[in-house]
Amino acid sequence: MYVAGADIGSTTAKVVILDGEGKIAATSLGPTGASIVEAAQRRFKEAIEAAKIDEHEVEFVVGTGYGRFKIPFGHTQITEISCHAKGAHYLFPGTRTIVDIGGQDTKAIGADERGEVTDFCMNDKCAAGTGRFLDNAALAVGLSIDEIGPISLKAAKPLRITNVCTVFVESEIMSHMARGEKIEDVLRGVHNAIAIRSIALMRRVGITPEVTFTGGVSRNVGMVQALEGQLGTKVNVSPLSQYVGAIGAALYALERARGAPPTELVAEASG
Amino acid sequence: MTDGDAGKDLQRRLLSEYYGSLSDEGRNGRKVAYMFVPGNVVELTRCFDMLPVYPEINALQCGIKKMAGDLILRAENLGYSSDVCGYVKNDIGLMLSDRKSPFGVLPKPDLLVCNYSGCNTFVKWFEALAHFYDAELFVLDIPYLREREAAKEDVDYIVAQLEELATVCARISGVPFDRGRLRRTLELSMEAERLWVEALKTAQSHPSPYDAYFEAVFYMAPLNILRGTEGCVEYYRLLLEELRARQKERRGPVPEEKFRVVFEGPPPWPHFRSFWELFKRWGVCGVASTYSKVGGLFDQGILHDPAQPLESIARYAMNCYTNWNLGLRLDLLRRYVKEYEADAVVIHSTKSCRSFSVGQADFREVLVKNDGIPTLMVESDLADPRYYSEAQLKNRIDAFFESLSHRRLLGG
Repeated sequence: MYVAGADIGSTTAKVVILDGEGKIAATSLGPTGASIVEAAQRRFKEAIEAAKIDEHEVEFVVGTGYGRFKIPFGHTQITEISCHAKGAHYLFPGTRTIVDIGGQDTKAIGADERGEVTDFCMNDKCAAGTGRFLDNAALAVGLSIDEIGPISLKAAKPLRITNVCTVFVESEIMSHMARGEKIEDVLRGVHNAIAIRSIALMRRVGITPEVTFTGGVSRNVGMVQALEGQLGTKVNVSPLSQYVGAIGAALYALERARGAPPTELVAEASG
Repeated sequence: MTDGDAGKDLQRRLLSEYYGSLSDEGRNGRKVAYMFVPGNVVELTRCFDMLPVYPEINALQCGIKKMAGDLILRAENLGYSSDVCGYVKNDIGLMLSDRKSPFGVLPKPDLLVCNYSGCNTFVKWFEALAHFYDAELFVLDIPYLREREAAKEDVDYIVAQLEELATVCARISGVPFDRGRLRRTLELSMEAERLWVEALKTAQSHPSPYDAYFEAVFYMAPLNILRGTEGCVEYYRLLLEELRARQKERRGPVPEEKFRVVFEGPPPWPHFRSFWELFKRWGVCGVASTYSKVGGLFDQGILHDPAQPLESIARYAMNCYTNWNLGLRLDLLRRYVKEYEADAVVIHSTKSCRSFSVGQADFREVLVKNDGIPTLMVESDLADPRYYSEAQLKNRIDAFFESLSHRRLLGG
């Protein structure tokens, strides 16, 4: 028996296939793009091929992420908040606090010893402190998103970025650059600014160790270091951190395939 | 037993009579006093045959009727900032549109009574109207409620201001102050308030016969608009009868009541229905709310009293919900959770209303961390449709009730 979790986020689409024992059989990741349906189908197909199984062997599929209601092959939908808690607990069973920084939102989630959500907070109405803030910073200095983290690690005198607006931060960066500040100091300032905002969100749910950092932004080493520096403690980061939501969704799929009753809204799937 | 619509029909008739009375013919020479809902002094102004107009209620009606967006833009075009309260901008927009409301053309004010000074925006709002309409402004200085009981010197201070206001009303209206009439008006207010308190309490039953947030905000309208009239008393008599009938039949607003919730904060009027739907899907029933108390914390024993006319008006003015100190507000939320056997608290924080929003993040923190009460905080606005983001709200609401369901399933 196999189950799948499909996490269709605002920026990337992720699919994870688990076997009947709950072990990861395959993963697939790619940009969401304009068509959620196509992105989900492509990732699902790729994961099935990688797992070398037939589509019919996948007994239950749970969708999550902003695109969850548009996944044509999903049996049900669960919010990414529940899925991130579940997925983080799977990778790091000691997880009690999750910070997930994604393309356009940041979440702080408190979880219990079973990986169930106890409390959560999300950024509201504003993309400051999310992945988009980093994208814009990278654009402003003419680098790719993958380059800025490692460069920020070289900072000797991190600057303080005071702007809280994802759009206006560009002009703040430009003015620092024009004054001849070092690019690594500017970038470290950008990473610190996001870390500080994320920690403020985490404080609202309470920062109980272990802290697990998930979402696309957790691949950025600069962000990991900034977060650890500002928190004063180590954070768990997995090489699978981008898949945490999809893993959580697949774990819910496994529970359901084993006969657990639904706790989500089941009547709402729409194509 | 009534058929269930009699209350609604009566409310419709009473409100249409009220709006009719505001028309040029309807006014019949009577003067117009603008005032705010929380802690107002309508019983006093009624003694001078003055017709009350409530700009907040006009704004929320424009919100429900989807007019708010355009009116707010008109005010912004005049220079009002995006940070200014949506109700204010809606009202300024109405003024710029020759006061054409969803219920006809509203009259200009002869007197503006700013009855709550704890909200600085209220003061500035009426100062602006006084300027634009060249009308007289009377600002009541209402002390903040520091303790559960209003201090005697504070009550005396407000009573002295009310005496002064009575003189102003007599001068503007030409009607002399009749204290007997004030007592009779207060008698009617008190009667309606007592019936409303009884109606509110029916939500303690399982299932609750009505939604104490999404429906109560309509049930509270007669008290906010028509307090001190016979029609208002009649409405609450009917409402109580209807709710008791529903209670007896175990009929509620959702097919199956799965979550009992205490709501804090005003609703997003321009998206009222869709916001309600986000909760209904989960079988959520509001069993108590603070917003339904903006017209008075009657269930907390704050009633008008004909035996102490001006003193009871003063106490009522001081006890408007947003004038309560944060400790009292938090305690009220806790008591509602207990008394109405609620599963959770949902806070709808609005960008416009700082009187409401201040302290809400702290309420959430204390309720979750100290009291173990699951609490969700979501954000949009009460008047400005641009601040409502359905995908974000839905995600948070779904995640919240999903996690409550999971925990219920696991018995934790």
